[in-house]
Formats: sequence, structure tokens, C-alpha cells
Amino acid sequence: MLLANREIRRARLRFALLSGAVGLLVYLILFQQLLLGGLLQGFTGALDAQDAKVLVYGAEARKNVEGSVLPPETVQAIRGVDGVAAAGQLGQGTFTMLAAAAGKPAEQVDASVFGFEPGLPGAPTRIVQGVLPAGLNEALASKEDVAKGFGLGDTVRTEAGGVPLRIVGLTENSRFSVAPTLWVTYPTYEALRRAANPNATAVFPSLVAVQPAEGLTATALAAKISSQVNGAQALTRAQAVSEAPGVAAVQQSFSIILGLAFVVVTLVIGFFFLILTSQKAASLTLLRAIGAPSGYLVRNLVVQVLAVVGAGIALALALLVGSTRGGGGGLPLTINPATVAVTSGAIVVLALAGSMVSIRRVLRLDPHDVVSRQSLGGLG
Amino acid sequence: MNLGLKELRRRPGRFGAAAAALVLISVLTLFLGGLLDGLYLGSTGALRAQPGELMTFSDNSKLSVIRSRITPEQRSGIAKVDGVTAVGGVGFALVAATVPERSEPASVAVIGYELAPKGLPAPPVAGEAFADQSLESKGVRVGQVLAVGPRKLPIKVVGFVPDTNFLQQGALWTAPDTWREVLASARPDQTLPPGTFQAITVQTATPNDPVALATVAASIDRSVAGVRTVTTEDAVLALPGIKEQNSTFTAIIGVTLLVAGIVVALFFALLTLERTGMFAVFKAVGASSVQVFAGVIVQAVVVALSAFVVSVVLVFLAAAGIGDALPLTLVPQRLVSTAVALIVTAALGAAISLRRVVRIDPAAAIG
Repeated sequence: MLLANREIRRARLRFALLSGAVGLLVYLILFQQLLLGGLLQGFTGALDAQDAKVLVYGAEARKNVEGSVLPPETVQAIRGVDGVAAAGQLGQGTFTMLAAAAGKPAEQVDASVFGFEPGLPGAPTRIVQGVLPAGLNEALASKEDVAKGFGLGDTVRTEAGGVPLRIVGLTENSRFSVAPTLWVTYPTYEALRRAANPNATAVFPSLVAVQPAEGLTATALAAKISSQVNGAQALTRAQAVSEAPGVAAVQQSFSIILGLAFVVVTLVIGFFFLILTSQKAASLTLLRAIGAPSGYLVRNLVVQVLAVVGAGIALALALLVGSTRGGGGGLPLTINPATVAVTSGAIVVLALAGSMVSIRRVLRLDPHDVVSRQSLGGLG
Repeated sequence: MNLGLKELRRRPGRFGAAAAALVLISVLTLFLGGLLDGLYLGSTGALRAQPGELMTFSDNSKLSVIRSRITPEQRSGIAKVDGVTAVGGVGFALVAATVPERSEPASVAVIGYELAPKGLPAPPVAGEAFADQSLESKGVRVGQVLAVGPRKLPIKVVGFVPDTNFLQQGALWTAPDTWREVLASARPDQTLPPGTFQAITVQTATPNDPVALATVAASIDRSVAGVRTVTTEDAVLALPGIKEQNSTFTAIIGVTLLVAGIVVALFFALLTLERTGMFAVFKAVGASSVQVFAGVIVQAVVVALSAFVVSVVLVFLAAAGIGDALPLTLVPQRLVSTAVALIVTAALGAAISLRRVVRIDPAAAIG
């Protein structure tokens, strides 16, 4: 591919600009995919990382955990539905905590707290270190927040009420609302609520976590609870994750942005090589006239497309690694090699698709034009 | 310059590739900007509308209105601080409201207030509310009675007010007692006694002097135990996710504009190469490099401007198609800033051809 390489060497700026543009666009695509994954995991990880197959919300909450409250009579009614094997109260609240990162004074940190009933559905599942909290003032934290002062053995304290919580275990991918998330026993959760507001008249659970009886699917039980219990809306675990407020909107927004970015990459590469091929039409026709086969010229073009895309992907990866090292503004950004591979593959395919017009143009070059067309040096 | 424009008119197809790429990049930029504005405006309206220049929260709430509570004693203390001219309590309850003849409840933020926020009159009587205009799309009308919260408390809508939503929920502005009743019925664990608010909006004698405002804020925090006072702008930025949202989207928009600049540079470098012969003739008949270069820049600016106009039409059509599904809001400032950024970036991108234009030898025109 002497021709392709020579041309790139002779027009370094042109090809560098194209590779730069492709690199930035691929970086945008990869970074936004990373952001989307981090956001979704951070928003709803806790719902996915608890053991109940069905979660029951207050009907008024519109699938929003933070807006959901279930009064005792509704909790009783849910427990009484035929097909409920076990049901546990699950409380959720955001509290301002005082946590001290290593070697630093304690700082205020917003943390989401889930209160579950040990031995009943709703307990966290992704424990990577330590144990489940069993008694008062014990908590399970996220390993993603260890550096913020939520490490194993650390003690954090609620700002309002000063309730201490000792971290006895760590979870992974179990955060909620993109904030440090703590799992405590339900009595501890009640104590936190009452300490935060001495005027509290009662503490109701946010959700009821339910396990279906043997032979009954989660979907069937959810439908049963929703239809039989007034003021309750039951969702399967998967629905609770995918239908949480904002999740669909975030996914839709990112899909549009990513789709546009893919189109721009294809268009830029396609137009660039089309213009380049048009400009080189005379030289390429001459090459054809002196015996260069079409296949050789097409291979040169494809090599150039692949070189540009390869350089672009390399640049994008370098930028991506830099971005993840710089932190994601509180989001744990982890590069997923499979996503990178699929995206890179898609970019290569799209780039080749975008170059199809240029390839067709090369294939249609007529060597006879050299002698018949004046614009190509012929006699006309 | 004139020749540049004439070439654009006679051979528009020559610039089609650059224009098409720029249209898509501009759509991408506007879409990102529209989302950012929609998210920001829909979350912060209620705080931006506060009449005071400062807001006071309890010092253990990390500036969260939902978790903050200010007692009547703290409120009196704030009112007595030098430089404070008026104080008003404010409180929020995020609940659902059943709208007559609608099966789907609307997400609302019931906000109790004392001092009238911008665009609002004094608080209505108990059981009535001014609703944010966004609730009209959920079927809310003036005169209707909404059933609010799990206990279905009746609240009558007596008027509409623009741009006052809170955390993407439609605002219902009520008297403090109505808000307190909704809060106690919906969240017994967040019940607040009479006279207690979640935050205080503070008006000062020096609303336009940042230094004086900082002094008053510090005086409040010194004189009243357990409170933290910040400017209303800082209170807006302390809302969950607002800062992160702004920085992330701004960075993505920045990279997108950088791509726009590179794309223009690329296509104009190719176009300049294609027109080397023509430029040599121009120079041979007396045109200076500056004149030729000015023509190139004018072409880039016109192409960017045309692409921007087309992209605005496309984004407005898309926004109409998307409807309420996404919080996409297109504000004039965003359109102007995107147009300016795109044109400047395009001009800078085209400037990369300067070296080639300067190096064109007029003698090349004669072979």
C-alpha cells in the first residue's frame, strides 16, 4: 500500500485534522456511553441490588422511591395478598452525614440510606467485604465511596441528630441517586428519621419488598398486588430499575445524542474521502491507464480510511483514559472493554459505509478518459 | 470578499459537504444546550423566583431545602441582623396531585411562602394555590380543585405563574399552613410545627452589592446559631446535580464545538487546495493574499450561519415531535451563544488555510 502511505505522509495536516475530528467524535461517543452507564448504575443500582423480586410503591409516588410512603394499613394489606411468601419494609431517605476522608477533617456529605428488615426481602445482595448490618448503628456502605470516609470500620454521623453509624460491610454497584448509599436495619432507619426531625409524628416505610410464593412469577404477583391493594403500585425488580423517573428520559436523550454523533462521523469521513477522490480523479485515471487495477486503487482508499479511523480511535481511547482518571464529577466511570470494542467496530463499519460513494467513484474511473477527456490531459 | 460570496452563490454545491456536517454538529450542540437549559430551568425556577438576595438554611442540611428546618426563634434572630430588611419563610413538599378528568396524576411541588416570589402576588388564602404554567400541559385549569397528596387534600387553582418549577415538578404556590398540612399528610416523618419553615428568603438593604451581601450573610450565621446563609444563586447551584449537570454538559458542548472547528478546517483546507489555480489567477491580476483570505473566511462564516439556521429549524421540529418526553427547552440566549460559538469556530477553522493561501505563487497562473 505504498501509494496510500505516501499520500498520507505528503498531506499530514489534512489526514491529521480528519483523524483529530474522528478521534474527538469517537471520544464523545465513548465518554457519553460511559456517563450513561455510570448515571444509570448510580441512579438505580440499589433497587437492582436487593433480593426482593417485587417492590411495592405508594400509588401516588409514580414509581419514585423518594416520593413513596406506605401507611401501616397498606403494608398490612400487601402482606395479606394471596401469593406473598414474605414481605419486608424498606425505608429510604437522604441524610446529611459527617464523614472524614483519610487524613482530612469530617465533611458534610449527602447520603442515601436504605432501611431493611433482616431476614425479610429487601436486603442488599452485592456485598464484597464485611457483613450485613445486624444491630442498631451499623451500616453497609458502597465500596465506591470508601475514599470519602465510608470505609470498613469507619464511623459516620448524621448531621441532624448526631446518630453514629459504623461501617461493617461494603457493597458494589448498589448506589442510589448518584450519592453514597448506606444500608441499615429498619430500626436504625427509624432512629435516623426521628433524630433528623423531632417533630416526626410517624415513620412509614417507602416501599414494601416482596417475595412471591413458589410457582408464582414476579410479574403475576405485582399485577395482583396493584389490583387488590388500594393505594399501592407493585413493580418487578427490573421494572423498578427501568421505569424509575428520569431513567427513560436519560436513555432517550443519550440515544439521540449518540445517534447524531455516529451520523456525523460517517458523514465527515464519507465527504472527506469523496472530495479527495474527486480531486485526485485525473491522477487515478492515469494510474488506471498505465495498468493499475481498480482493486489496487480501492484497497489504497480502504487502507487510508482504516488508518484515519484507527488513529481516531487511538486518540479517543487516550482521551477517555484521561477523563476517567480525572473523575466523573462523583460518578464512578469505569471503561467497559466490550462497549469500547463494539463502538470501535461500529465506527469502522460506518466509516467504510461512508466511503462507499468514493469507492464506487474509483471503480467507475474509465482509463480511456486519459486520451479522450481534455480535463484529464487528453486530446478531447 | 465579494468574490467569496459570488462563488458561494454560483457554486453552492462545492460547500455542501461542510454545510451538511456543520448542520448536524449544530443540531447536536443545540440539542445538548436545550437539554441542559431544560434540566436547569425546570429544577431551579422556584429558588430563582425567591424575592430575597440571600437564603438561610439550617447548618446541618448541606443547603437542602427538604432537609433544612428553621425555627421561629432562628427566624426572628435573622430578621434582627443589621442590613436585613425583610424575611420570609418558605417550604417545599414533593407530592402527586390528581387532576380532574385525568387518569394520570401530576407530580407537583407544593410550596408554602410568605414573601411573594417574582411574578407572584401575596400568598393565597388557605386551600388555594397559584400553579406553574407547565401544569397546564397536565390538564390543570384555573378554578379546578386538585386532590393533593395521599390524603387527597383539596387545593383550588386560582391562577398561573411562569418558570417556577422545582426539581422537574410543577409548582403549586400556597399559604404556609396549606403547605404544612400537605407535608404532614404526605410525609409524617417530615412534619413541621407552626412557625417552622425549611428555609428563609432574606431581603437586604444592599441587594446589588456582592461584598455587602457576603457581610450580611456572615452576620446572620454569626448571630443566629445553627444556620447557614448563602446567596440565592449559590442556593440554586446547591440543588442536587445542578453543578455536575452544568459542568458535564458544558464540557460535551465544548468538545462538539471543537469538532465543528476541525471539520471546517478540514473541508476548507480541501477547498483551498482545489482552488489553488483560481487563487493564483486572482493574485496574478492584483488581488492580495489578504483579499483572497478574507473571501475564504467570509465563505466559512456564511456556511456556518446557514448551517446554524437550518439546524435551528430541525431542532424546533424535533422538540415539537418529542413533546413532554424530554426536558428540552430552547431559550434565545442559548441560540445566540451557539450561533456566535459556531461562527467563531468556523472562522478559526477556515483560518488554517491562511498559510496555503499566502504561499500561492501568482506565476503558477501561467503554468
